[in-house]
Amino acid sequence: MKKVLILLILFYGHLYALDRDSTLKLYHKLFFSLSPKAEISVYVNDNEYRKIFLSSKRLQLTKEPKDADIVLITDERTLEKVLAKRQDIQTDKKPILFVTDHHFLDRSKDIVGAFYWRKGRSQLLFVKNRLDQYHIVLPAEYQKFIIDEL
Amino acid sequence: MKQQYLNRFILLLTALLIAFAIYLQYTIVESTHRLKKEEIKKSERYAQKIANYIQSKIETDIEFTLANDPELRQELNRVLQTFLTQQYQYIFLLKKDAKGYFRFLLDGSKNDPEDFNAIFFPKSELFEQVCKTHKMQIVRQQEGVEHVWLSLVYPLVKHNHTEALLVLDLSEAYGKYLNDFNSPLMTVVKIMQIFLFGSLLLLAIILYRYSKFRKSILEDTLTSSYTKLYLEEFFNRYKVDQYNAILLDIDEFKQVNTKYGHKSGDTVLKMFVDTINSIVSPLKGKVIRTAGAEFFIVIPKDQVKIGIVAKKLFEILKEKKYLVENEVVSLTVSMSAIEVPKGTSSVQNILRLLDEKLLEIKSKGKDNLGILGIEHLDESLYGNMDYIREALEEERLLCLYQPIFHTEKKEIVKYETLVRLIDKDDPDKLISPYHFMKVIKGTSQYIKMSKLVLNRAFSTLKMYPDIELSVNLDLDDLYNSDMMKLISENLHEYKEFANRLTFEILEDHEIYDYGKVSLIFQQLKAYGSKIAIDDFGSGYANYNYLIQLDVEILKIDGSLIRELETEPARTKTVLASIKALASTFNYELVAEFVSSKEIYEAMKELGIEYSQGFYLGEPKPIEEYIH
Repeated sequence: MKKVLILLILFYGHLYALDRDSTLKLYHKLFFSLSPKAEISVYVNDNEYRKIFLSSKRLQLTKEPKDADIVLITDERTLEKVLAKRQDIQTDKKPILFVTDHHFLDRSKDIVGAFYWRKGRSQLLFVKNRLDQYHIVLPAEYQKFIIDEL
Repeated sequence: MKQQYLNRFILLLTALLIAFAIYLQYTIVESTHRLKKEEIKKSERYAQKIANYIQSKIETDIEFTLANDPELRQELNRVLQTFLTQQYQYIFLLKKDAKGYFRFLLDGSKNDPEDFNAIFFPKSELFEQVCKTHKMQIVRQQEGVEHVWLSLVYPLVKHNHTEALLVLDLSEAYGKYLNDFNSPLMTVVKIMQIFLFGSLLLLAIILYRYSKFRKSILEDTLTSSYTKLYLEEFFNRYKVDQYNAILLDIDEFKQVNTKYGHKSGDTVLKMFVDTINSIVSPLKGKVIRTAGAEFFIVIPKDQVKIGIVAKKLFEILKEKKYLVENEVVSLTVSMSAIEVPKGTSSVQNILRLLDEKLLEIKSKGKDNLGILGIEHLDESLYGNMDYIREALEEERLLCLYQPIFHTEKKEIVKYETLVRLIDKDDPDKLISPYHFMKVIKGTSQYIKMSKLVLNRAFSTLKMYPDIELSVNLDLDDLYNSDMMKLISENLHEYKEFANRLTFEILEDHEIYDYGKVSLIFQQLKAYGSKIAIDDFGSGYANYNYLIQLDVEILKIDGSLIRELETEPARTKTVLASIKALASTFNYELVAEFVSSKEIYEAMKELGIEYSQGFYLGEPKPIEEYIH
């Protein structure tokens, strides 16, 4: 009986790990497509994401958006905070902004893209001129997700 | 039902039940599949209705109309909302723009509806295909899609051009509902399958344990030969007469145990059996340990003649040397072998015959081989008390009747009742008293047999009122109170037939008490029965009888009659003197063994009143003489 319980726990644990792994894998690939660095510093306010990114050796979490190469914005408050403080940062040191809500894309021309859900489907979107702004060239597999304008 | 058939039946039954459960599962899966198909068909019709409605509302270019008429957009969005029942997660209308991106035209979602012209990545190439082919497609749930079981992508076509795509997303919950529709039944079937698989597993475990247990009781752990139980089981499956048999016993094996200890004795025994197996196994033979150092071997008849294999085995076992504690030990064996006759069904009888032969060999100094033939089988088998007892219990007994002729007239005057046992395995084979009479004399079985014979003799007398019969009676029977009681009871019961019955008195020793015998004769004669002295002129049936006993008939001993063939003149003289004597005493004479015309003619010439023998008539069932 004990063995069965352990097996069940391991099985569900494995499923949970799979979900976290796939999320990390997705963002890992995404971030390293956005930045040419070998190690990327990321700012994200959401604890779930922070936990996920912690398990990566090549992603470094920062406490402040200004210290990050990429800022992942998942909520309105963080968006406002990041956009407000962004004025103070030097142009060449401004982090790349990426969001998880497509509505946020309208809020700033500095946001290069979004990963969000629409009608039950995951959507990945990049805005071409915004990528250009950061001199980002995405790999071929992302080309179909790049749009000229919203 | 035999165990093996029962096992097969249970396995077959379980397999059938499992097949039935699998069939049920297949049926349920199939029915769920059909249900889903029907629901998809319904959704197709639903999508068609919605599309027709939209097209009825927009006669010109859809995109252009909706882009320029926000009110119509709102109205149609509301209409889509009304179409959005529980089974649909989303209903929306897409267009493909000039750059190939899909964008929203309408969205029926209540909460957070998508803006007009918002971009949409459909996650499936099928959307493109619908645009190209103008044919509806069903898109199954795939990676990166949530809450959607499947999507119906319905094209709104005008002038051979897909203007828009109507997307109906069937909800995951609805898909689950359809999947679970038959789930109670499916659960029952699955439980049934688990139960059946469990039963099969359990059955397999039981069979495995049974086979292990069976092996443990059928195989001798020490020598790896079989046990006696195996022998019984083996011959339940195979016919005894398909095999020949050997019984062997190691002479003085006890001495090996005593001298070297049981452990060494066991090793020797194991090596001994290995040696037997090396000869017997290639011949498909089986070695059965019947006692400590006694082994029974059966070999299929088609392999080799038993005499050859027995001799070879005997020689090899005799030559074999065993190294025990640095000493070379030789063993001798006593062995009996038999070529089992066709029709033999009892292995116990074979074993008993071999055992008897083995005892004979052992009594004559051991270390020898004896091979039994068919004649030994008859002798030993029919002379076995158990066999006779079984025959009498089953009333496998037959009375034959040999006619006694009036010599001059050559007419039947009487029949002698002769008993035969019927062979257990071959009902046409009759066993003569020569084989069994000596064994049962003086036992309760003899009384039992006599009772059966008397009963049948009286029944025959009753059935055929014109005939006379004679039955044989042993001199010792007259001294046996049980036997005499039986005879008296029968005579009393059938007294009206008693005067047609003759008792032929046989003897194998001298009469000691003529007074008592005379008295008994008088008792028998009181019912009207006659007394005949059998085998007169030989052994103890001598002239003294004529003086001491009051009898009616003398049956001349067959050996005297047979002498007519070799010494006719002298024999005739003796027979003439017996005739003269009998005439003086008014005895009737019966000649036995009249086996040829010459003898019969001699009897006529001598004036012997009655004749009996194969020339005149063989022992047969009475029906064959009386028509």
